[in-house]
Formats: sequence, structure tokens, C-alpha cells
Amino acid sequence: MYLLWIMVIFLLPYFYRLLRGPSIWDRFLGLNLISTKIIIISICYASINNSAFILDFAIVYTLLTFICIIFTALFLQDRMKKGGN
Amino acid sequence: MEIAGNILIAAGIIFMLFGIIGIMRFKNFYARILISSKIDTVGAVTIIIGIAVKHGFSFFTLKLIMLLVLMMILNPLVTHITARAAFQSGYKHEDNT
Repeated sequence: MYLLWIMVIFLLPYFYRLLRGPSIWDRFLGLNLISTKIIIISICYASINNSAFILDFAIVYTLLTFICIIFTALFLQDRMKKGGN
Repeated sequence: MEIAGNILIAAGIIFMLFGIIGIMRFKNFYARILISSKIDTVGAVTIIIGIAVKHGFSFFTLKLIMLLVLMMILNPLVTHITARAAFQSGYKHEDNT
């Protein structure tokens, strides 16, 4: 039970990096880290309630988030190389 | 088996605390992404191993092992792609520290 509280408290400082990052690449970093923390919070919840079907959600969310970040970063790299901000 | 699991979970929480302190204190994007790429992965893997040891050998543990393999492969990959995209689009390394 205390594990869940500690994980939620560890989630909050990353929002500061998400809002105040001086560039757009800092915000990508914050997105990646927040997604990792959410996955661990869902694993702790599955361990407390002893239910095994919440882990299916965790696996699918892992794959979707990482694929989304990969393609968004590649799109932004092409866009900023052609010129612009 | 429960005591070993509890010790591993406590070690993982300490690693994550180091990661949070490191990200808040550095003044450069490339230093921050270097710190987060290592400490974040290690903390997550240690916590998952601790929970798997705590639950014994069952169907729950097999799903956790699959999640562990996915996390070990995908997290450094995404960090590398973000840093490479930032470097090749001209984000300069500022001399702040």
C-alpha cells in the first residue's frame, strides 16, 4: 500500500520538466519518463489486488507509447532539417 | 522469499530517487538525457524483479518476465532516437555548466 503512494509522489517532479523545458526535446524526455512511471504504478496495483489481467494493459501501453515517441521524433527531425523552428 | 523481494523493491526505489534528483539538477539537455537513460531503466528493472520474486512461480510471474524483456529492450532505444534526432536537427550543446 505504501509502495503505491511512494510511486505517485515520484511521478510529480517530471511535470515540472514537461512544462518548463527550454526546448521541445526536453518535453520528449518528460513524456518518456512519465510513461515509464505509469507502467510501474499499474504493475504495483496489479500486485496488490492479485489480478493478472491488468498486466495485459501494461504490455500494450508500453508498446504503444514507445512506438508513438519514435515516430514523432523522426517526424520532428525531418521537419526541423528543412528549415524552421 | 518475501524478505528478498522487499529488499529488491527498496533498492529500486532508492535508484529512482537518484534519477529524480539528477534530472532536476542538471542544466543541459544532453546531460539530462544521459542520466535518465541509465538510471530510469535500472530502477524499473529492479522493481519488476522484486515484485516477481515476491510472488513466487506462477502465471503472474511469466507475464512480468515478458514485461521485463520489453522494458530492457525498448527504453534505451527510445532514448537513443530522441538524442539522435535532437543532434541532427541542429540543437547546439550550450556551455552552461
